[in-house]
Amino acid sequence: MSEPAMLNLVLFLPVLGMVMLLLVPRDAHGTVRGLALAVMLLQLALTVVLYQAFDPQVAGLQFETRLPWIADWGVYYHIGLDGLNVLLVLLTAFLGPLVVAGAFSAIDKDVKLFYAMVFLIQFAMLGTFVAQDLFLFYVFWETMLIPMFLIIGIWGGERRIYATLKFVLYTAFGSILMLAAVIYLVLSLQATSGITSFAFTDLYGSRLPLDIQVLLLGAFALSFAIKVPVVPFHTWLPDAHVEAPTAGSVILAGVLLKMGTYGFIKLGFPLFPDAARALTPAVMVLAVVSIVYGACLALVQDDIKKIIAYSSISHLGYVMLGLASFELIGIQGAIIQMVSHGLTAGGLFLMVGMIYERCHTRDLAAYGGLARILPVYSVFFMILTLAAIGLPTTSGFTGEFLVLLGAFDAAWPQYANGAATWPLVLACTAVLGVVLGALYMLRLAQKFLFGESRAPHAPLTDLNLREKLILVAIVAAVFVLGLFPDSFMQKTELAAREYQQQVLVEPESRWVRAAPDGGSP
Amino acid sequence: MNAQTILTAMLPEHLLLVGILLLLVLEMASRREREFLGVTVLVLFAAAFAAARLAVADYAGVPFPGQFSVDPAAALGKAVLLALSIPAVLVARGEFGGTRFAILLLSSLYGACLMLSSDSFLTLFLGIELMSMPVYALVLLAMARPESLEGALKYLILGGAGTATLLLGISFVFGATGSFALPAFAEALDSADPIAQAGVVLITVAFFLKAAVVPFHAWAPDAYEGATVPVTAYMATVVKSAVLLAAVRLFDGAELPEGNAALLAALPLASMVWGNLTAMRQAGFRRMIAYSSIAHAGYLFFAFLGPAAGRFEAVLFYVVAYGLMNLLAFVSLPAAGRDADRDRLDNLKGLFRRSPYAAILIGAAMLSLAGIPPFPGFVAKFLIFRNVIEAGYTGWAVAGLLGSYLGIYFYLRVIQFMFMSPGAEGAAEEPPRLAAFAASLCCLLPVVLLTLFPGWVIDRL
Repeated sequence: MSEPAMLNLVLFLPVLGMVMLLLVPRDAHGTVRGLALAVMLLQLALTVVLYQAFDPQVAGLQFETRLPWIADWGVYYHIGLDGLNVLLVLLTAFLGPLVVAGAFSAIDKDVKLFYAMVFLIQFAMLGTFVAQDLFLFYVFWETMLIPMFLIIGIWGGERRIYATLKFVLYTAFGSILMLAAVIYLVLSLQATSGITSFAFTDLYGSRLPLDIQVLLLGAFALSFAIKVPVVPFHTWLPDAHVEAPTAGSVILAGVLLKMGTYGFIKLGFPLFPDAARALTPAVMVLAVVSIVYGACLALVQDDIKKIIAYSSISHLGYVMLGLASFELIGIQGAIIQMVSHGLTAGGLFLMVGMIYERCHTRDLAAYGGLARILPVYSVFFMILTLAAIGLPTTSGFTGEFLVLLGAFDAAWPQYANGAATWPLVLACTAVLGVVLGALYMLRLAQKFLFGESRAPHAPLTDLNLREKLILVAIVAAVFVLGLFPDSFMQKTELAAREYQQQVLVEPESRWVRAAPDGGSP
Repeated sequence: MNAQTILTAMLPEHLLLVGILLLLVLEMASRREREFLGVTVLVLFAAAFAAARLAVADYAGVPFPGQFSVDPAAALGKAVLLALSIPAVLVARGEFGGTRFAILLLSSLYGACLMLSSDSFLTLFLGIELMSMPVYALVLLAMARPESLEGALKYLILGGAGTATLLLGISFVFGATGSFALPAFAEALDSADPIAQAGVVLITVAFFLKAAVVPFHAWAPDAYEGATVPVTAYMATVVKSAVLLAAVRLFDGAELPEGNAALLAALPLASMVWGNLTAMRQAGFRRMIAYSSIAHAGYLFFAFLGPAAGRFEAVLFYVVAYGLMNLLAFVSLPAAGRDADRDRLDNLKGLFRRSPYAAILIGAAMLSLAGIPPFPGFVAKFLIFRNVIEAGYTGWAVAGLLGSYLGIYFYLRVIQFMFMSPGAEGAAEEPPRLAAFAASLCCLLPVVLLTLFPGWVIDRL
């Protein structure tokens, strides 16, 4: 099979899975679960083949498919892999089977609908990553809302309705303004160059006046910042995480949050380079605030899920910091950090789900000394905790370290030649986040795993084979990414360079002039 | 004018007339409702097919010069209206008995077709009245409930006020331009003459009233609630669509003069905001849809801000997407012993456990009405707002998009009821009738087409 066809197959496999689920009787839970896992594993296998075939020496898109969709408007079904999305596609495909297998015992209500929704969100997430057409991207971006709304709302905890409505209404608010910006941007391109196109490559590097660029970037950035989430747009996240079923939390933390950061790197900044440069200080400040504020909040939570939820805010702050440093090393670090956070947070949420299935509480005070009761569980939990802290040899270290390097690389020259001190202050504050990270994660591990042995339900059974296999896969990935980041970074290097060029260099080929018919936004 | 043109150009209208006569005869021979409805569906299908055929063949004919002409756009609009009414008829079985429903419906559609082909204010007025009058009666047909009397009366009185406003507006425009021809409206739109301006405002208000735009919307919730499901579906989709398509014909090629944008945008914007906010508080499905349709009337009138060339395309696509999705929701509504029970939103609680496919179809319809991709409602909304921004009214477009955001909650609330709430105890579900199944298929197939290949449709508009 040719590679573009294979990428299409990977994208549409979940849809195929949904159709197959339709044919399975409603009460055949075993068949439904088996089918879901088989489809996800097949998807992972195909994605790995694609990843291997992805050539790091080639700039631009690979395995491209481009077919007219709404030809009159210049909308194309245009997908492809590049250095920015290839790792995220791999991460999504990797987490797919783990989410499915992790929910085998937890979900026993409306099983068929559940896996159909997991398939749907998998489809939408992959589509958002591989889309190379703004219209297509927006369609996939919004489609993600529907399955997540149902996953939290049907299988969630007690306050699930509140949490899921909050999630949808927050994210939809961001998208509605983004829609206005998308239309405006495309019409401006049409007015200036006569091309009616939604292709990213055509839209990159607008030379719109700065104030309009800032408004448009603001609309895009609001949507992305809510998704990331960047403080102060984060308040939906703890609720969504706490109320979501384990699978929902894993999808949220593992992949969905990366949509926001991916949006910034793929669209927000390169589409509006002048505005991006102008707003860099604001973005960096918000990133550092997210790092520190998220960490501080994580420090005082009693709900285990909330600790991990707030730690996500902190960790994604690093990603934002790396992206906004516009240093090659920081950008690559940000991409690694995205993947790493997907693995560690996803893994930790899975582990919280496992203990919740046994004890039905997430209250940290109810637990203690699990290391003695559940030794195998505790080992895995400790490894993931350390990875989240960023211990060397784990993926967390690679990501955070490279991001901080990038931040200092960007800050130091400015400090040295006396241009500005604040970038250096920000970078130093971000380092503080690492210390705070160790503090809250070790607090969690200490109360949870050590001390006096106590658990709400005794006797507890340790992990079964299915759970062990899931965790082994995650831990293995954490170490591979931590020990051999090179091979992964090679795949992203050209794309990161291109992103840097798009934002920093002013090419002659940028398209000119302003608004359609002089309207003002 | 010759017999051949009259026969060909008005074939859809003739078929409707034949249908009415056929039903009158049939009523003497038989008392079986199934046959009446079968004949009606066949007639509608034939008429829709004839209209579509005319549109595809790029037929243009003028059977009555200055009064009635057919062009491909008008024929396409008729085909859409006629086809949209088929699902409403399919679910009408057991609601009325006798032929009254079918005959009134066909008469009303005749009026709708007349509107879309009108060249003068006279034909337009005739069409509007012929379309509205049978609907007053249709609302009243559900006399079993006191609400329908109230709803029908309110509709009748406000509809009458709308008629009076329209006539006054027409006479003003006639006074200013000396012409009854439709282009006189575009002329009046451009003129600075206060009489002409007053005429434009009055005619616009009449259309706002017929389409239920705030603050002329008060009849809609009562009429929608009072009528039975097929009639509400017909009102919410076909009648509203016909009014909007007629408005496109009325505005024809006229661009909005600079200062007049507020006239056409302010009330629709208020309509979006008020309709969406009020819909959140409704306990009945039809009342909720009524407020939702008030909001949608707002989006539809926004299309008139856009460049004249894209107006018909935007309105027609929107009307198709909106109509199909509304119908899909209506025909999938679970049956219940009493009509009032059927209407309660509480009746939808736990629907997914009882009949999953109905729940999924209604859910898809709600998401589409909310304008969430990938459903056709999104493409339709995109088209309208793109045109608005293209015309330079970015501020209005942003306001409109924010107004549409307000609607997301109550559509999601329906999904929440169906999927996330425990079901009512002992609500035994009737298995859906074959006709209802056929009706949902009628809606579903085009919906799938519009979802997967919107480009195919848009390229052909």
